[in-house]
Amino acid sequence: MPDNPSIGPHATTMTNLRAALTSLPMMLMTFVILSGGKLTHDPRHLFALVATFCFLNTLFFLMVKTGRTDRWRAILFTVFAVAFVISFISHYVEARGSMALSESEILECRTPFCHIVIPMTIIPLALTRTIIFPGTMTGVYAAIASMFIIWIGASLSLGRGFCAWGCFLGGWDDGFSRIMKRPIIKNIGKKWHYLSFAVLLAVALTSAAMLSPTYCEWLCPYKAVTEYVQVTSLTRLVQMIIFLTLFAGLVVILPLLAKRRIQCGLFCPFGAFQSFTNKISPFEVRVDKNLCVKCKKCITVCPTFSMSEESLDKGKARMTCIKCGKCIDNCPKGALSFHIKGTSLGDDRTAQRLLFLFPAFLFLSTMAGGNIQSAIVRIIGLFTTGSLLAH
Amino acid sequence: MDAFLLGLSNGVVCISYCAPVLVPYLLGQGSGVLANLGIVARFLLGRLAGYLAFSVLAFTFHTTLPASVAARSLIMGSTYIILSVLLVFYGLRNRTSSPACAARGSGPFLLKAGRLWPALAPAILGLLTGLTICPPFLLAFAAAVEKTTLTGSVVFFVLFFCGTSVFFLPIPLVGSLKRLSVLSTVGKLAAGIIGLYYFYAGLILLLGVIKYP
Repeated sequence: MPDNPSIGPHATTMTNLRAALTSLPMMLMTFVILSGGKLTHDPRHLFALVATFCFLNTLFFLMVKTGRTDRWRAILFTVFAVAFVISFISHYVEARGSMALSESEILECRTPFCHIVIPMTIIPLALTRTIIFPGTMTGVYAAIASMFIIWIGASLSLGRGFCAWGCFLGGWDDGFSRIMKRPIIKNIGKKWHYLSFAVLLAVALTSAAMLSPTYCEWLCPYKAVTEYVQVTSLTRLVQMIIFLTLFAGLVVILPLLAKRRIQCGLFCPFGAFQSFTNKISPFEVRVDKNLCVKCKKCITVCPTFSMSEESLDKGKARMTCIKCGKCIDNCPKGALSFHIKGTSLGDDRTAQRLLFLFPAFLFLSTMAGGNIQSAIVRIIGLFTTGSLLAH
Repeated sequence: MDAFLLGLSNGVVCISYCAPVLVPYLLGQGSGVLANLGIVARFLLGRLAGYLAFSVLAFTFHTTLPASVAARSLIMGSTYIILSVLLVFYGLRNRTSSPACAARGSGPFLLKAGRLWPALAPAILGLLTGLTICPPFLLAFAAAVEKTTLTGSVVFFVLFFCGTSVFFLPIPLVGSLKRLSVLSTVGKLAAGIIGLYYFYAGLILLLGVIKYP
């Protein structure tokens, strides 16, 4: 749904005004979220607040004005992932002097909890009433309870939209998948589209059997850019090699070559698990079969292999859809749209899109805002004091 | 727990390959959920009989192994590695049928058995699937060989059986099988991933032999 370039200056002013008015509630909400209800007097923090506020709201304004979603979402999503890593690593180096987790910290349950662990904890939680993760339930950075609450809220509203609008790591493969102009790997066999479900099955079973989060211990590529267990044995060394290899392969090289989110679409067990929550989310991506000319552009660009000829025939994306909006942005006939379940496809598409965009963007802003501010403060610190660390 | 886990990983594959042969027969014979449950129960008993036969075989094989820990580790580590590579290959290959499944291709035999011994036919069918020599099963066999007693070997195969049987339980309730091909793909890939774990376990055993010969 791109802008019409032939409209006159008066119409352009009106479009801008309408977009600004529509963005006003988002400005208010993001200001409250970013400031926490009070203004800081520290110039570095104040600058970070203003910069983050302007950055977020410019992107939302552009989303509303241009009618494009993914183009602007991807910028924020990638910046969020990089900011998260800067903020996270700095925080943990300040707190414990290293990116590495020591065995004693694991035993003391001081490991930060990540949403990817959730599918592995559910079966043991049901069977043993124990969370098989060495983290703390409440009160500290990345506590288990707070992550579960965020996840439940996001799942009910966005479903697997979590993976495009909330995941603090997904921006890495999303970012790398956008660097090349054309894909070098064009065809990935259909059986691989189910790999993430196989990983989910394997890690859910092994986690239940061993009562430990096997994905985190053995397969998580993002350990390469977050925290990892200190290399004190051959097993730990093997794990570290696996993490680095998977990060290079699934998050950097394959997304670059295939122009797809390979880690998210083909490997992440949380993504596979989250696909089932698309069934309860009120939002979905639909195809208007009357407008669709089967050019297959949506199939080519979908980052998570969620569009297929079968889904075009059915008139909706597969259950693995992350609602990033890339297919909608790229459809030459405007046949795809965000849709609210239970309403007619012919109903006001702009209103339906905005009803999706407000909670989705607000969720992304809530997740990203603090991390971007923190990263800006630390980068200023790097230039002024020579260190990313506060102390 | 390892046996149950291996059974779970094998069960998805087993059900997805064997169900297209079994289910039409089973459901065709039954007249309702309860009747179908009876058929499935006999079928599972047949499978259990097949597994128990293998547990005795595994123990017999165990008694022929050399007594030294290093030699045993070498044999078991190598076996794990070979079988896990086979399992990974099995998970990655593109073939959509399982030549190893003894129940597949047994349609004419089943028709005959069904006519001659209608009550026993599900059990025979179960026995045939129990004798399936697919890579996950071979890996289970290798693990069972490590058990030092016949009871241990039998318990291992009973747990393996329980793991594989989980997927058979909903059969009486299943009306549509159109998603089985997807289930099969997911199951095979998951079996391949579990194979990587066993490859690592085998490697650790072998490294132990090198470090402490």
